[in-house]
Amino acid sequence: MENLSEMLKGVLEGIVLEIISRGEIYGYEIVKRLTALGFAGIAEGTVYALLLRLEKNRLVHIVKKPSEIGPPRKFYTLNERGRDELLFFWARWDFLSEKIQILRKTEDTKDEF
Amino acid sequence: MSFNQEIQAKINQFAKEQARHYLDAAETTYLEKLRDKTDYAKEKVKQKLSQFKDTSDQAKEAQNDLIIYMSDYMSDLMSQGLTEEEAFAKAKEELSASSASDLSSDIEERFHQYFANLDPAEYETIGLFYGGFIIIGLVAGALIGYTLSGGRVEFLNGGWINTLVGAAAGLLIGVGLGLLSNGIFVSRKKR
Repeated sequence: MENLSEMLKGVLEGIVLEIISRGEIYGYEIVKRLTALGFAGIAEGTVYALLLRLEKNRLVHIVKKPSEIGPPRKFYTLNERGRDELLFFWARWDFLSEKIQILRKTEDTKDEF
Repeated sequence: MSFNQEIQAKINQFAKEQARHYLDAAETTYLEKLRDKTDYAKEKVKQKLSQFKDTSDQAKEAQNDLIIYMSDYMSDLMSQGLTEEEAFAKAKEELSASSASDLSSDIEERFHQYFANLDPAEYETIGLFYGGFIIIGLVAGALIGYTLSGGRVEFLNGGWINTLVGAAAGLLIGVGLGLLSNGIFVSRKKR
């Protein structure tokens, strides 16, 4: 879907945390997973910057493994703090999603709001 | 996948240049960024300090991360049919943490803030101060020059020049007082 980037800004961190929670993964593999999910068009730089931020905020556990390119490749898994952050993200998402669905399904919004 | 030596050198150079921008962005929260934008002095110090970041272990690690990430991206692009050069150009474009755009957004934000905070009444007040002081200075100077030169008789016999000098001096004093009041007004507003 096009023109998603603005809406994704607030939730991309949660999406990436969820992807990492599924198992050990390296940086660019996350981009490929996002593309496979249909989130094409997310700037590659955005994901890289996000991974740096997750690392700085100590939400991920990192294992370095040798790569064929030269420098070691980082593999990410969620640590406890990351898992807590992911749970918090889904709680916020559920709240937001529920409210939006209520708004969408309510025929006469004047009565509700 | 390995790249030719020239491309690999370009990737390394790119990573060295860009890793610092990504590190800076990751180190600061949104609120810190806002605070930085209003603090030029801090920014200048940061720029000076950032010279040392290129050689720190943290920067080296970020550079290595970017090299790996960029190489993976380029390999992906090449598997889609792009040449090495084309893949590098695209990856460079996508992964650039442009400091130029940061600067332009900073200027744009200041521009918006300036006009958002603009109050016409303040400018009217400053203008009235200038006008008031200039008129008072002009009249007082002219009167003093006229009186000290000897009044009406002397004025008509060439003494008008003293009135003129007095008026000019009064005008300058009026402008000076206007500038002082403007300065006091601005400094009070900044507090």
